[in-house]
Amino acid sequence: MADLKKQIIAQLNLKNLEPDNIGDDQPLFNEGLGLDSIDALELIVLLQQDYKIKLTNAEEGQQVFRSVRTMAQYIMDHQPGSK
Amino acid sequence: MYLQAAAGISPQPSFEQICSSPVVYPGNRLSCIEPDYTRRIDPRMIRRMSRIIRMGVAAALDCLKASGIGMPDAIITGTAYGCLKDTEVFLSKMVENKEDLLTPTAFIQSTHNTIGAQIALLLKCHNYNNTLVQRGFSFESALLDAISLLEDREAKNVLVGGIDELTDTSFALLSRFGSYRRSLADSTSLYEEQDRGTIAGEGAAFFLVSGEPSGNDYAKLEEIDTFYKPGGANRTEAYIRDFLTAHGIRMEEIDLVITGRNGNAKDDAVYEQIERAVFKDKATARFKHLCGEYPTASSFALWLAAHCLKEKKTPAGILWSGMEAAPRRILIYNHYQNTHHALYLLSAC
Repeated sequence: MADLKKQIIAQLNLKNLEPDNIGDDQPLFNEGLGLDSIDALELIVLLQQDYKIKLTNAEEGQQVFRSVRTMAQYIMDHQPGSK
Repeated sequence: MYLQAAAGISPQPSFEQICSSPVVYPGNRLSCIEPDYTRRIDPRMIRRMSRIIRMGVAAALDCLKASGIGMPDAIITGTAYGCLKDTEVFLSKMVENKEDLLTPTAFIQSTHNTIGAQIALLLKCHNYNNTLVQRGFSFESALLDAISLLEDREAKNVLVGGIDELTDTSFALLSRFGSYRRSLADSTSLYEEQDRGTIAGEGAAFFLVSGEPSGNDYAKLEEIDTFYKPGGANRTEAYIRDFLTAHGIRMEEIDLVITGRNGNAKDDAVYEQIERAVFKDKATARFKHLCGEYPTASSFALWLAAHCLKEKKTPAGILWSGMEAAPRRILIYNHYQNTHHALYLLSAC
């Protein structure tokens, strides 16, 4: 999950944050890291670019991007050869 | 129209520094000296802003702070290139990803009006907001828009700025077109040898303008005029004479003429003829060695002239001929690539 945190920081240009500053279960949006809808688009790009995972169902995004842990789980579940 | 406040981010740190010891750059490229943005802009917003947006927003906020006005009646920006870096990022990604994936932030922020929009977002300002993109007349068009609002009494004060950035890509492309000198020892030697090409530059300059005097204004902008492709130096000379005559200005009433000389033989030939024919025996100054050449460089000239009038002094480093210690009336004559010509007449308050 540390690598994923680094990727999130780089993709969203969160210069003031280190991977350790982001809790595994900390909410990414609203009261958590405070990300917004543009960040959500950037995270979708990150999944597609770095993991070749296409998030097609917008409603699914709310659950996937809840925290770093849910994102990591989604990536593991959808990695080629995971099923 | 009164210039209530002026602020800028340029390759020079401040007007005081220009007076004492202007920053000299090696080579043919000048870059803005950027301040600590975290003191001006919320760090959560900075992360999304490209360099040109940060420069524009910071200059605008500095200008508002200097004016003491928190909420302008209108925000108008002029830029020829817009947010080039963001445009480069998303176009490059489109190519790299075979038109399949875009970077949303760069795409959203690549439009020319992003700076004006970001200023409005920061201020929560829902007033008139416009961006003028007119190549070498972008800043002049923004000023004319501001004048219209003030004259029509649709605004009492307007925040107006000129912004353009230089990126590695734009510098490389414009160098290939021969826009910049192939060899230049440093920025101070720009005018020593006339050659093909000039010095590359960039900047952001903002002004808080109003129709009524505030009692603490930098200067009064008496007149502004533009003319496009005048068709030779003789026609340019006639335009300038007509401009002065139309506004009842005698040459002896002008203390200092600031011209846009840029070291490019082709461009400077026009200035030379005008200086000989129209501004003979006048104190003249130049500024492109301080900020470089870019489509909205006249906004830097206006910032410089406003400070000269406010501080009642002319930096020795800008004087080209004559001596004028404390000008009361300044004429700026600038042209961009000998197509977009602009005249500004300013007086002390």
